[in-house]
Amino acid sequence: MMLIVQTAKRAIIGLSSRNSTPNYPVVARHYHENVIDHYENPRNVGSLDKNDPNVGTGLVGAPACGDVMKLQIRVDDDSGQIIDARFKTFGCGSAIASSSLATEWVRGKTMNEVLTIKNTEIAKHLSLPPVKLHCSMLAEDAIKAAVKDYMAKRAKANSLITKPNYKE
Amino acid sequence: MSFVNRTAMATASRFLLLRRLSRSLKLSQTLVHSNSSRVSSNLIHKTIEPLDSFWPIGESHIRHDSSITTRSFSSQSQGPASIDNSSVLQEDEFHRLANFTIHDLLEKIEEYGDNVEIDGFDIDYGNEVLTLKLGSLGTYVLNKQTPNRQIWMSSPVSGPSRFDWDQDANVWIYRRTEAKLHKLLEEELENLCGEPIQLS
Repeated sequence: MMLIVQTAKRAIIGLSSRNSTPNYPVVARHYHENVIDHYENPRNVGSLDKNDPNVGTGLVGAPACGDVMKLQIRVDDDSGQIIDARFKTFGCGSAIASSSLATEWVRGKTMNEVLTIKNTEIAKHLSLPPVKLHCSMLAEDAIKAAVKDYMAKRAKANSLITKPNYKE
Repeated sequence: MSFVNRTAMATASRFLLLRRLSRSLKLSQTLVHSNSSRVSSNLIHKTIEPLDSFWPIGESHIRHDSSITTRSFSSQSQGPASIDNSSVLQEDEFHRLANFTIHDLLEKIEEYGDNVEIDGFDIDYGNEVLTLKLGSLGTYVLNKQTPNRQIWMSSPVSGPSRFDWDQDANVWIYRRTEAKLHKLLEEELENLCGEPIQLS
């Protein structure tokens, strides 16, 4: 009787261990915890007054594409530093996380510094899968667009601030 | 270079249009065309890469201005100018071109995979997305981005790229870097896998 039970047990275990490696590859896709964090606790959601001369607004993407990001920065005229940043994003979790991260990273930096933020850094920090790299690029574009907007406003206001060194 | 401006828009967009006009006058090299059938999309439509039309706007993009190429600037605040690619290529033409390109790449890379020794090499085409796995070397993803009339690529080497169809040169080109899709893939695959590949 014992022998039968033993054999039966072994057979069941044997069966289950055989089935634990399925014949088809099972791909489990997960959002990296950094992405989930930004999704559940997004930083700096909101708007700044776009008519404020110290505010640069970058609006990138298109609803038809499924991704729109608005990133705004408030720049301190004297130091050229970004003292506040807000974002609003319509898109996937990776897009939201990318733009949320972007607002975190631009705070306290000068405009020259933020123009060096690369989409690859954003993607690496969030462990974005290949198909989501485009989200990080959009976030980089949003930063650049916001800086550009601010610079254009300043230029219009005939300020004496030197333009940062980016290709125009 | 003269520009043609045809529009039947609402007042708000007329105001935007005036701003666009003054900007395009300064730029003085771009054609501005607003297709009335795309009014609503023009207002909010920005391409994923608005900056490509901005830097450098004076130079490389103008050669894309064949007789039918048009640009429309949609501006909210003073965001970067965007390219309304939907007027560059008709949708069905885009699908024809892009599908052909992607299928052609699929075939050639499949064959390439048979000849190179890459552990974990796998190429798959599903839901109009081409996924090329190169084991530990990384994964490529190629897909159509129809609203922008672009082919999007994600590369483990060069990251994300967005290719527009250049009618004159007969190539898909990433404006930001002037990279051509087939050339870029050829270079990257050769560097990654050690064997040259002919894609164009």
